[in-house]
Amino acid sequence: MTVYYDDLFRLCGFEDDEMGKERLRVEKVLTKLELGPAEMRTARDWVRQNHDVSLVGVRKLLGAWLKELIDLVLAKDEGKKVVYFSFPSIQGPGMAIKAADPEGIYCACPDMVLCHTMGQIFNKLIPILEAGEENGLPPGHGLCSLQQIRVGGLAKGIIPMPDLIIGQSYYCDYGAKVDELLHEKYGHPVAYVDGCKDSKWGEYPAYLPERIKFLGEQLNKFFDKVNETLEVEVTSDAWGKAMAASRLLFSGLGRLTQLMTADPMPVSGVETALALNLSAASTGRAMVEGPEAVSILCEEVEKRVESGIGIIKKGAPRILTLFPAISDASLIHMMEEVGLAVSATLLSVPLPKASQRIPYATPTEVRAEAEMRAGLYHSSFAIAKRFEDVAKTLKVDGVIWGYQHSCRPNAAGSHTIKKWVEENTGLPTLSLEMDFFDSRYYSAGALRTRVEAFADMLRARQASAGDRR
Amino acid sequence: MITAGIDIGAATSKAVILNNDTPLCFSIIPTGSSVVKAAAIVIKKALLKAGLSMNDLDYVVSTGYGRKSVSYAKKAMTEIICHASGVNLSMRQARTIIDIGGQDSKVIRLDKDANVINFVMNDKCAAGTGRFLEVMAGALGVEISQMGPLSLLGKHPCQVSSTCTVFAESEMISLRAERKKLEDLLAGIHRALSRRVVIMGKSLGFEKDVVFTGGVAKNVGIKKILEEEIGLEILVPEEPQIIGALGAAILAKTEYCNSSRLNK
Repeated sequence: MTVYYDDLFRLCGFEDDEMGKERLRVEKVLTKLELGPAEMRTARDWVRQNHDVSLVGVRKLLGAWLKELIDLVLAKDEGKKVVYFSFPSIQGPGMAIKAADPEGIYCACPDMVLCHTMGQIFNKLIPILEAGEENGLPPGHGLCSLQQIRVGGLAKGIIPMPDLIIGQSYYCDYGAKVDELLHEKYGHPVAYVDGCKDSKWGEYPAYLPERIKFLGEQLNKFFDKVNETLEVEVTSDAWGKAMAASRLLFSGLGRLTQLMTADPMPVSGVETALALNLSAASTGRAMVEGPEAVSILCEEVEKRVESGIGIIKKGAPRILTLFPAISDASLIHMMEEVGLAVSATLLSVPLPKASQRIPYATPTEVRAEAEMRAGLYHSSFAIAKRFEDVAKTLKVDGVIWGYQHSCRPNAAGSHTIKKWVEENTGLPTLSLEMDFFDSRYYSAGALRTRVEAFADMLRARQASAGDRR
Repeated sequence: MITAGIDIGAATSKAVILNNDTPLCFSIIPTGSSVVKAAAIVIKKALLKAGLSMNDLDYVVSTGYGRKSVSYAKKAMTEIICHASGVNLSMRQARTIIDIGGQDSKVIRLDKDANVINFVMNDKCAAGTGRFLEVMAGALGVEISQMGPLSLLGKHPCQVSSTCTVFAESEMISLRAERKKLEDLLAGIHRALSRRVVIMGKSLGFEKDVVFTGGVAKNVGIKKILEEEIGLEILVPEEPQIIGALGAAILAKTEYCNSSRLNK
């Protein structure tokens, strides 16, 4: 017998046997989220409008996100200890905790899960944002919309209260501040990974070894707190498993990045984002099924490349962005509609090689060193330099430096980073104030004129370069 | 070859009809509540002036925020590209365009071939736009066309501390209650708007010739403050409000030539 949600879940890659196994859990979750037949119809149209569901890999990725949502919503009911981390987050600690107790722990970035499911699949994110605004993070105060989603999710009771929060201020001090407020409101424990992001302009990729030692110590302190609160010991073995799981996803993403350099661009940047963002949100099922979905997607995309099939005109200007779509795919689709191939993000190419050979003693120091090289946790200059390196490596035609208006580390560099990237790559760079998580004030329509003019500019540049040749 | 450019802006809609590179006539009407209706009326008026009919038009390009609503346009292009093209027709030395319209403000940098090489635009706030002036005119009971000349008489410009249009309106009412002179209030308002645009444009730099377009370019007060702030003379086209539509008409000619070449 077909049930009202079957169509949507099948559209999102669920197989018959999975439907059978998951049915009870799915129904519990849909009841909790107040998603009935009408919402399923809306979601079906929304998914078809925003995603290339002719690709099995895309459907499986959507399915991986849905499974993550199910596991998140039911974690507490199913007796799991719940741990939350924020976005952006230092890669690894969450994965390591999960690897240390795979059956007993649910660990994720719940706000990112809600963005990809309640946003990208169900188009029902606004009530959650509004609940966040009503419960401590009011509108009009320049507050982070991602944090509003977390607070809204908790206030509405759709995500469970955590047993522990990983509070990190290494990149975003705002997340740690909200964790503090949530502790005051709900009383759950927070383990802080203290940090400091003050680096000199021009220092990247070098860094002071003391910073690595400090971050390593902070992570160790954090794991002590995990042990004390959850009675879970994160061993070297758990770290090893965590890193192996991440490597699996990133190796698939590397292959996908290569395929995205094909002309014409074979698949929308929205779909590659579905894969990339898993690493920032999940430590559980989605991280297990995600790499399989990426592998299927790569095979399908490879066939498109071989046949010269693209979703955008051949020769379209290729651009690099900071982050891909997170809660609203229409922003990236708008960029593609005006003729830009959104083919790469700052995270698309591997990190630079370690420039200093200092033998770091613990897994946490090794992790800290890699994080520092990734740039985001280093400094504003590191972001500019990563833009330069990625733009040069992938030979893009332009950069859209879309920054989160409410993010202090991000928005402070709105002008400086644009100028630096322009001067050091010679590429036109559009500094675009936007909101990755809440498109109420930054809709695709509102940003369209700027992006369209930028696309015209890039095409004129291509044409004049062609004339010169 | 007869082409037309239609610029459907937030406050006004403009049409320009071009015979090759020679403007034949133009029309300007308030956009009102229906962009579709405005698009129909504005072209009708321009055609009437030129003694032409729709069938005489070889190609039409639309621009402005309502550009997608012009059913008879064969192509829609952004205001940024159209302004560059429109300015280039008569002011070939232009390297910077300041465009302040009803809903947005932009600074556009051009190379010697009139290609747009960089631009910056106000984000989501009306503070640096014509709408700001309209609201202030309403709050002070002054005709919008009189605001510029009166502002030049202000000897002690008031400090307008609110950059938000709505809050600035309340601030005006308070300043009026303090019996501040109308000219000083207007001078303060003009300075506040101009500063927003200059700060925005400084991220690109201003290079001469600097050309001022859009409806607000008709305001002598804003022009004077902009010149003081950037330290360069500012040129204003004879009819600055139609530059976007003019550019669209010129681009329509290019598009027509390209499509004719392809069809041969």
